[in-house]
Amino acid sequence: MIAQAIGGNLDYAVMLAYFVAVLGFGLYFGRYTTTTRDFFFGGQRFSWWLIAFSCVATVVGSYSFIKYSAAGFRYGICSTQSYLNDWFWMPILVLGWLPIIYYNRITSVPEYLEARFDKKTRVAATLIILFYIVGYIGINLITLGRTLHTLLGWQVMTGAIVTAVAVALYVYIGGQTAVIMTDLVQGIILLIAGLGLFAAAIYHFGGFGEFWSLLPRDHKFAFSDFNAPPKFSFIGIYVQDGLANTGALMLMHQGFILRFLSLKSVKDSRRMVVCWILVLAPLAAIATSCGGWIAKALVNNGELVTEPGDSFVKAAHFLCAPGVFGFVLAALTAALMSTADSLINAVSAIFVNDIWKPYVRPASPDKHYLRVARITSLVAAGLGLALVPIFMRDTIYGAHSMFTAAVTPPVLMAIFLGITWKRYTPAAAFVTIVGGAVLIGVSFVWADALVGPFDFGMGPDSYKFMRALFGLLAAGTLGVTVTWLTRPKPDPELKGLVAGSQIEAMRRFKGGQPNRRPGGKARLQVKLDEDLSGENTVIVPQSALDIMAAEPGDLLYASHTRWWYGGLRSVHVKAGPPCDCEDCALLRISPEDAATAHFSEGQEVVVEKIM
Amino acid sequence: MNMLRVWPIVCQFGVGALLCAVGIWCGLRGGYLDLKIAEDRRLLVTLVGGYLLMLAIVCVFTFLAPCWANGESL
Repeated sequence: MIAQAIGGNLDYAVMLAYFVAVLGFGLYFGRYTTTTRDFFFGGQRFSWWLIAFSCVATVVGSYSFIKYSAAGFRYGICSTQSYLNDWFWMPILVLGWLPIIYYNRITSVPEYLEARFDKKTRVAATLIILFYIVGYIGINLITLGRTLHTLLGWQVMTGAIVTAVAVALYVYIGGQTAVIMTDLVQGIILLIAGLGLFAAAIYHFGGFGEFWSLLPRDHKFAFSDFNAPPKFSFIGIYVQDGLANTGALMLMHQGFILRFLSLKSVKDSRRMVVCWILVLAPLAAIATSCGGWIAKALVNNGELVTEPGDSFVKAAHFLCAPGVFGFVLAALTAALMSTADSLINAVSAIFVNDIWKPYVRPASPDKHYLRVARITSLVAAGLGLALVPIFMRDTIYGAHSMFTAAVTPPVLMAIFLGITWKRYTPAAAFVTIVGGAVLIGVSFVWADALVGPFDFGMGPDSYKFMRALFGLLAAGTLGVTVTWLTRPKPDPELKGLVAGSQIEAMRRFKGGQPNRRPGGKARLQVKLDEDLSGENTVIVPQSALDIMAAEPGDLLYASHTRWWYGGLRSVHVKAGPPCDCEDCALLRISPEDAATAHFSEGQEVVVEKIM
Repeated sequence: MNMLRVWPIVCQFGVGALLCAVGIWCGLRGGYLDLKIAEDRRLLVTLVGGYLLMLAIVCVFTFLAPCWANGESL
């Protein structure tokens, strides 16, 4: 790491302005947060494109720019290999996991584990997941601390404290809505900054061919060698990132669970995931890694001297004019804030839903839980800060890899088997989580004996990655073995909770048979109707029901006509019996539902059928 | 051909195909993924298309791109 600050006053002014703007933006959305449902799920109303952008911002942590650029400098374009795994998890996510949690109104992974298995499994998973998320917060904070040390010369801890306070503040006030809206902005900023940097480099070198020819030949492969080098082999990265980490992001990361549950419907999750994984994630992979590739080309061209860890910042500083460099630094800040905010909100959700509500103060008013959620946000940021000194002992990539490889496999395996295998028993799930965690813990003591057989000849340097493979196999073997020795839950208790029973979950969610006929959208004018108060029902004309292919009792979604609100002004309602007037084009709605959606009398809105 | 460059593709897309198959099976079982509905058919096509697109990109950056501007063969 370079010791002194780089960049000029204009750069720091741009960065500071951005920081303040995002903070203000997040605080503004506090007015949309009045219940725990708003605080954790943003009211379950958002459009797919909004969530797709915010997911990218969450996936790209502050460590991503530094970590992947360093890997890109050392190893070339294979630094993006960990972004190539997401697609394979997509079918399980959109066809299995999401319908199950969304339609069962499950708010956290531990809650699912209690419904699917039993209470002790929930408790074990709660502890591990909290440990996982708080650790993740620590990794993000240390990265920005280190980056600010490089840029401004601040102490690492000082930078971590400043950002933790800022993020905790807007999560405290705005909750999930603030997280989603700020992440939208930050996702766009970091993509523009990263891709803009790449475009500037291509322009600087005089074309892609010239840039490409400046890279060493072994830097031009999509994957590194199968089992070399030990610290960045394909198999090491694949098992740690492709299997354990990506699987954990999709199935057990509470931040993503909350984001998925913020969607207006499960159907929207399909578009969201395609946009996120097939379009935005590859762009993000280029945006985060290209600093290293550019720095390597500049070094080979005799224009720059840098270490891998500084490659992103130095390449950006070399290519960008004053002020523009500040914008790139703002993207780094954006990456940190957009990941840390989701994690802080996630800790809060798990603490309230899995510890406070069931064990400490059950059956309290929602306002009480909202207050606890907000206080927990601040505590979560504090706990993340406490971990910073621990992670400072390793490289960022090493710390992140070691942490995810060690913590995620047992819970991930329990969720995976829980969704896909009806025979999988509660006792087996508990043993998978607790036994798997114990075995992984023991593997730190007897690494050669336990992880060594899975190192593919790479030796101890690969253990921090290959521990994920050991963990997955150990937890999986325990789970399968115990399943055959114990009794499964009866079938009726598993309805809606395992693959093959999603329709049952839909039925439960709706309170009737789901209507899956394809339909269109109707434009109607809002008419407030006191008689509908407390019913969450709307009255629309038969012609509108026909357009939507809807029937009385179906779930509808009414939203503002401006699509770019992304669902911020919207509400879920039930269709009541159609009104008599055929051509009135009115949406009769209760004042409370209209207030939830921020609708006013006479306003035109779009109505569509959910199911 | 350097098999150390080929095994990663076999491993990633082999295990990836298994994961995709498990996910699609999760959908088909019980009728949640209903191939009589056009939207569900489109989703299945997108899933397979995405898989093939990723495979094509990886193959280009394994067998072709490293040779660009170098005039070498793999």
